[in-house]
Amino acid sequence: MGLIQIGASILIGLLIGALTRERRTLRIYLLLACSVLAVYWFQPALPLRSFDFWLPSLSLALTILTWLVTSPAGAWRLGPNFIGLSIIVGLATLVDLSRYVLPDPVLTATTPPQFFQYCIFLLVVGIILSFFGWSPPRRLWTISAVIILLIVILIILKTPALSLQTSILFRTVANRPIESASFTDLRWLGFSYIAFRLIHVLRDKQTGHLPELSLPEFGTYVVFFPALAAGPIDRAERFTQDLRKDFSLTQDETLLAGQRIFLGLFKKFVIADTLAIIALNDALATQVRTMGWMWIVVYAYAFQIYFDFSGYTDIAIGIARLVGIKLPENFAAPYTRPNLTQFWNSWHMSLTQWFRSYFFNPFNRWMRGLKHIPAWVMIFMGQAATMLLIGLWHGITVNFILWGLWHGIGLFLQNRWSEFIRTRYSNLGQDARLRILLQIGSILITFHFVALGWVFFALSDPSLSWQVFRKLFGM
Amino acid sequence: MRKFSLILIIVFITLTLPACASNNDNAPVQAVENYLNALVEKDANRLTALVCGEWEEEALIELDSFQAVTARLEGVACEQTGTDGATALVLCNGNIVASYNNEDQQLDLSVRTYQVVEEGGDWLVCGTR
Repeated sequence: MGLIQIGASILIGLLIGALTRERRTLRIYLLLACSVLAVYWFQPALPLRSFDFWLPSLSLALTILTWLVTSPAGAWRLGPNFIGLSIIVGLATLVDLSRYVLPDPVLTATTPPQFFQYCIFLLVVGIILSFFGWSPPRRLWTISAVIILLIVILIILKTPALSLQTSILFRTVANRPIESASFTDLRWLGFSYIAFRLIHVLRDKQTGHLPELSLPEFGTYVVFFPALAAGPIDRAERFTQDLRKDFSLTQDETLLAGQRIFLGLFKKFVIADTLAIIALNDALATQVRTMGWMWIVVYAYAFQIYFDFSGYTDIAIGIARLVGIKLPENFAAPYTRPNLTQFWNSWHMSLTQWFRSYFFNPFNRWMRGLKHIPAWVMIFMGQAATMLLIGLWHGITVNFILWGLWHGIGLFLQNRWSEFIRTRYSNLGQDARLRILLQIGSILITFHFVALGWVFFALSDPSLSWQVFRKLFGM
Repeated sequence: MRKFSLILIIVFITLTLPACASNNDNAPVQAVENYLNALVEKDANRLTALVCGEWEEEALIELDSFQAVTARLEGVACEQTGTDGATALVLCNGNIVASYNNEDQQLDLSVRTYQVVEEGGDWLVCGTR
């Protein structure tokens, strides 16, 4: 999100907050409408023609599909759901028709496709939705099918080689030169977050934990405009609790939201963007010659990524507050944590909680069911596999795998070390001065472990990361 | 509910009909102006969406030539000068001003005519002459 989009989001948040005092239903419809438009507006231009229209449209189609397979048969005919469906389809149609009315594209980065192409898309989506949505006996099977579909799309988008092949395929169909194809051609804004919200809802439906949600509530939850581009990943039941509450935007609430937005803007556009000049990247990895500068570059990256991401989160939380939604926190001073477990409990918290709920806990339960596996193996497997998946969520590349394993192994070693210390030196913490020294030492060690991990995360190639490590340690 | 459906249908028809009857005469000129804007803004993705497949690589090379400078449009006005079969010919007056180290260089746009073709309902820049 750029400054203009953030500014418009704040303004819309203020307007919705002020106009919908105690009018719950109107607030939900307005939030859904603005979020649908934001899905198109926030999507950057792509080299594949009209994909900045098709990808957001697919996000909305997947949202409706997920709602259909998790709702009772025929639920779409009910008043609020029908209105929600009309808002989504109507606004998508309006965005497409804007190509005939507006001289320059306003709601999309480039001119939307021809109306007849859009009608074909609507027809195909309609047939697919009918197939998935109107067959109750296949419901459990369809939920699994949608989860698999979302994971397959995520794998294609996150694997550079698959993304490139997909781009080549689309270019061939569209009669465009395949030489210009790139794995970045399919930058689908917010899909990682949308997919994780949808998978959470589908899994909760399978396990019977999902409350009944109307389409306007569900759609707003999935594509909620403040959290569309960079999260946090809220839980549907918590989000809808806020949505269903009566809300009046008070002066105090506006002030608190404003403070949070200002803090976020300062973190992102002043601190993070300044640090970005000297933060580790592929070019600097080869240009920096001295050990001292290399440490500065790595430290700069560690703080840049924190201020950038937590800044966006602050902005999202602040804007959401203007419309009565209290999004979950994503960061809690992660670099001041004395061990890696606590770091991961305070870094990108909504993502780690998602993985804990939908992978770590079920995986551990499954392993406990297997006999003759030593406890330490289970701990290692659980932590390494979870961190590996978190790495892969960022991108299916060797460096993200190494970053995930770095943290998985780190968590395991920290777990074993803590166990060792606890059983042998339980009286260490009795001396206050020693306790403070231990605390400071632990924070510094944890921060440096995390900072060194960023060397994998920030760079595109393992050999570059190895070069940086060699420079950092004077090898 | 019935009233809502009726309103929906009316809105849809109201929007669709003018869309079908929209005037497309100025589209080739608009395509060239959008192309020039994407060029000076160095927006490769938007530029790619505005050119035909055959011209894509040349357009990206042209965009690359502006990477090291700050570019802006000055007094640009385009008009369609004719057609060559299915190709519309568009001539632009004005300049691209490329600045490097506070030194301006003016690139006269009137020295070439843009060829614009219609592909799938969109007018796309497809070369110069």
